[in-house]
Order: sequence, then structure tokens, then C-alpha cells
Amino acid sequence: MSTTRKRVYGYLAEFKSASALYKAAEKVRDAGFRKWDCYTPYPVHGLDAAMGLKRSILPWFVFFGGMTGTATAFALAYTTQVVIYPTIVQAKPTNIFTIPAFFPVMFELTILFSGFTVLFGLLALMQLPRLNHPLFASKQFHRATDDGFFIAIEARDAKFSPDGTRDLLSEIGGENIELVEEEEK
Amino acid sequence: MSHHVTSADIAINGDHLDKSKVAKLKTICLGITAVGTIISLLGLFGVFGQWFQGTYAYSWVFAYYFFLTLSIGGVFWTLLHNVSNSGWGTSVRRTFENLGSTYPWIFLFGVPLLFPQVNQYLFEWMNVHRAGAEAVSGGHAKDMKDYLHHTDHLLYNKLFYMNIGSWIGRFIFYGVGVTGVIYFLRKLSTDQDTDPKPGLKRLFAARKHSTYTLIIFALTITFTGFDLLMGLDYKWFSTMWGVYIFSGSALNSMAVIILVCTYLKSQGHLKHVTTPEHFHIMGKLLFAFTTFWAYISFSQYFLIWYANITEETSYFLIRNTGNWNIAMIFLVFGHFVVPFVVLLQAWLKKNPKYLSIVAVYTLCMHVLDHYLITIPERGVSLGNLMIKDGAGKVVVDGHKVFGEIAVSIPGAFWGDILAFVTIGAAFVFFLLRAIGQHSLYPNRDPRILESANLTN
Repeated sequence: MSTTRKRVYGYLAEFKSASALYKAAEKVRDAGFRKWDCYTPYPVHGLDAAMGLKRSILPWFVFFGGMTGTATAFALAYTTQVVIYPTIVQAKPTNIFTIPAFFPVMFELTILFSGFTVLFGLLALMQLPRLNHPLFASKQFHRATDDGFFIAIEARDAKFSPDGTRDLLSEIGGENIELVEEEEK
Repeated sequence: MSHHVTSADIAINGDHLDKSKVAKLKTICLGITAVGTIISLLGLFGVFGQWFQGTYAYSWVFAYYFFLTLSIGGVFWTLLHNVSNSGWGTSVRRTFENLGSTYPWIFLFGVPLLFPQVNQYLFEWMNVHRAGAEAVSGGHAKDMKDYLHHTDHLLYNKLFYMNIGSWIGRFIFYGVGVTGVIYFLRKLSTDQDTDPKPGLKRLFAARKHSTYTLIIFALTITFTGFDLLMGLDYKWFSTMWGVYIFSGSALNSMAVIILVCTYLKSQGHLKHVTTPEHFHIMGKLLFAFTTFWAYISFSQYFLIWYANITEETSYFLIRNTGNWNIAMIFLVFGHFVVPFVVLLQAWLKKNPKYLSIVAVYTLCMHVLDHYLITIPERGVSLGNLMIKDGAGKVVVDGHKVFGEIAVSIPGAFWGDILAFVTIGAAFVFFLLRAIGQHSLYPNRDPRILESANLTN
């Protein structure tokens, strides 16, 4: 008989409805947990406030991503149309006052760079794409994409304790509480 | 979210403004309006001489159209709220309706424009038409078409649209159409406040009747822009004009709505039903229309600048001559760049106080925008006029060096302020009057709880 030591991911608890989950999330937040998450089949309005989530840093990335786009477009248009190859079109000047002609490009690249920053910034912040997640070891977890409302509290959290956390979850209305262990490779 | 709003939090008989609080302000505004209107009418009909009559006609169009955009914007937000079936704005919808209900009153300030004494200075094409009518009655021309064919071919081509009869007809339509729309929709909404069985029928009726009436609104905002502003120079045209006027109108009426809601909130009204979330959405709309305004106004400039066609460039040529240029460049930064960057902050949009400061700022930029739309035409239209009285004495000497354009008329600025204060005081008076008439939010609307518990 071989003994394998599995790493504990944390507790997974199911809640009856979105509103039960919402109220439970407020209590988990107030208990001071940091490394935990809610899993629902659809977005629940106001859940971020109930979970005590801080505002994402992503908008700042996007702002500077967009600004980079504006600057890139301006540099591109200015260099080619003013510095390297000045062409007089419709009696328009070939200097900084040609800038209205650059605006469409500046606008488009601002949007493009912002869009890219949103996509790749989001993936980076969420650490996606990933091939597996410890919660997939749970047999009931797939219902989070159908009709299940779950809260998972990770064992990494400083407040986590094997008994205390389970009691808390059942106290706030959690059912089918399960200790999820990471699968062996 | 601290507290879930239930029907127990909604005032069953509505949340009414204590009229005595605003009575003093209303009296002052009414007094200013009365005195200002009398002075204005005397001036517009020539009691203070032709110089004042001519320059003040432009001041009047500027102030009149400025406040018209605010009122008609209230109608727009009411219609949009109904037709988009939205739930978020039910608790602030009454403010939309109150703002819109000032439209008929503000519209009446445009009645002097119907008289030749006033519009002879504003709309040059009318003078050509009047000369044509005289020529026809004198037997010098077969009919108006014949006359214009030989004098002004552009007006000959535009005769189907630009003739005094249909101009007056359209003017009446602008007044009657939107007045009817907002009166009906506001009545539908306020009747619900006291109905013991409110039900859903008014909700559905408002949604149904906001569809085709949106067309009346669109026609009004577009063609008042054409007739009253673009018509100041009949040779000039821009296909983006209607959208441009609309973008400023929607933006700044939202600014007024934000200011009214902040005021009511500071007086302890709209309790439970409006939260920072509502201000966040209104701030987002303010932000969206700031960007929309910039998009439209730049597109208009861009097309005209690039195509470089004589008839089209005149608008920007006038406004880039002399000191107008500084104001135009200031508009780019003041009307777009600054509010764009400021309104990016989410926390600011959720704070009624800070959002109100931005709203006041936006309104100031709207004043500048409309000043630059209307007033530069005054210099080129009147600056070179020479008017003699019956005895041959020169009354108005606008003659400058040949070929030099008079970009502005010194001293006419005070008339702009008088007109602005007069119609502005009327606007404040009628807005406060409308706010005091009914409950401050539709307390028996089926969607009031949905709106009160808004999260976004």
C-alpha cells in the first residue's frame, strides 16, 4: 500500500440560490478571508461588493495602453508624412498642422491598443489560459456552469483552519461541503 | 449595498418639494425675466435704434437656442428612457420630464424671430425673398422662381425649402410637435402618482408612444438647427449640423439633470430611490456624450477641412479669423480633452458633488460652443453695414477698409449677456415651477423598486 500525500486546495460549499450565495459571501468577507472565490452559472450583480473585491487595476493598464496607441499612430503618421516623405495633398501643409489628417489613425490605434490591453491584461491578471484547476477534482463542481452556486475557500488563506472554516461554511448555509484535494499528477 | 429598498421606503403619496424653499428664487427669476423680456422686445423692435436692434437679434438667437437645447434634451432623455424600456432611470425620470416640460415656455421666446423687424438682420435669404415679393407685385418678375433665377441661383435651387411661408410653417411645427409630445408623456407619468391602481398600462403606453414621437424630436432638433443657426448664412451648409446640435443638446441637458438631482438630494429628497449608482450612470452618459460631441464636431471639421470647398469652409474661416481662433482652439481642449480625462474616474462619477462641478463646467463650455456657433455671424453680417436714417444721416457706420472683414462688433457683447440672463432666468423659473408641481419621482411606477436597487 502506497501512501500518497495530497495537497489540500480548500473547502468547496454549495448554496441554494444566488441570494443565499450573496449573503454568504458577505459573511465570508466579514470573517476576513482573502483567498476565496464565488462560482456561479451567470453574473450576479453586486457580488463584487459583497465579496469585498477591490477595483481592478486593469483600467490603468488600458489607459496607458490606449495612450501608447495614440502616440504610436502620431509617430507613424508624422514620420512618414512629414519627416520622410512630405506630400502636399489638396494644398494641406506638411507640418504639425496636418494633424487633423492623422486623427483617424490616432483614434483607431488608440482603440486597437486599448482592446489588446484589455484582452491580454485580463488574461494575465486572471492567469489564463491554464490547463487545469484544482477545483476540477471535485465531482460536484461542474454544476457551477449549470445550476450550482459555490464558494471555495482556499487552504492558503491565513485564516483557514480545517474545522473552523468548515463550520463557518455550514453556519452560513453551505451544503455538500467538500474538502478538495489536488489530483495527483 | 447597505440596505435593500422595499416598498415600505417609497413615499406612498410622493416626495414633494417644499415650494416655500424656492419661492424667493422663483420670484427673483420671474422679475428678471419680466424686466429683461420687456427691454428685449423694445430693443428687438427698434426702440433703442437700429444698432441695438441688429446686434441684439443675434444675442437673442444665441440665448434662445442655447436654452432650447437644454429643454429639448429633457424631452430626448424622457423619450429614450421610455423607448429603451430601461429600468435604471425610473427614479430620476421625473427630472427628465420636468426639464422637458420647460420646452413650450422657452420656445415662446423665439416668437420675435417670426417678425421681419428682427429676422431681417439674421436671415439674409429672407431679405432676398422679400425683395422678390416686391418685384413680383411690381410686375418686374413673373413669380418668385423667375426672380430668384436671375438674382440668386442658390436660393432658386433652395426655394422648395427656403421660403418664408414654409419657414413659418416649420417654426410652428417645432413648437406644437414637441410641446404635444412632452405634455402627453408628462401627464401620463404624473397621473400615475395618485392612481390607486397604477398597474402597467401607463408603462406600456409610454413605451409605445415614445417610438414615433422620437421622430418628431429628431426632426425638431435637426431642422431648428438648420433654420435658426445654419440659416444665418444661407450659402453655407453642413450635413452633420443636426447631429452636432443634438450631441451638445443631449450632453448638456444631462448636465442640467445631474445638477437638479444633486440639488434635490442635498435638500433631503429622492431619499432611498437615488444612490451613487444613478449618478454613476448619469456621469457615464455625460462622459459618453462628451466623446460623442467631440467625434461629431471633429468629423464635421475634418470633412470640411479636407474637401476644401468654398461654400463649406466659410464657417471655419470666419471662426478662425481674429480672436475667434483662440476660442475655437480652446473649445477643443475645454469641451473635450479636459472633461474626457476628468470623467474617466469612476469614483468621481459616483460622487454627486464632484459630478455637479463637472456638469457646471460642461454647461459653461456649451455656452462657449453656442456662442461660437451664432455670434461670429454677426460681425460678417452686420459689421460692414451702413445704415442711414430718413434724413440721410449715417446711423450705423460699419464701413471698414475695403476687403477687410469685421470679425466682431465692439460693445455688442453686453446685449449677449442681457439676452442670456433674460432667457436663463425664465429657464430657471419654469424648471423650478415644474419641479414643484408633482412628486419628485414616479412613486407608483411599477419599476421604482428596480430602479432604487440599481447596481451597475
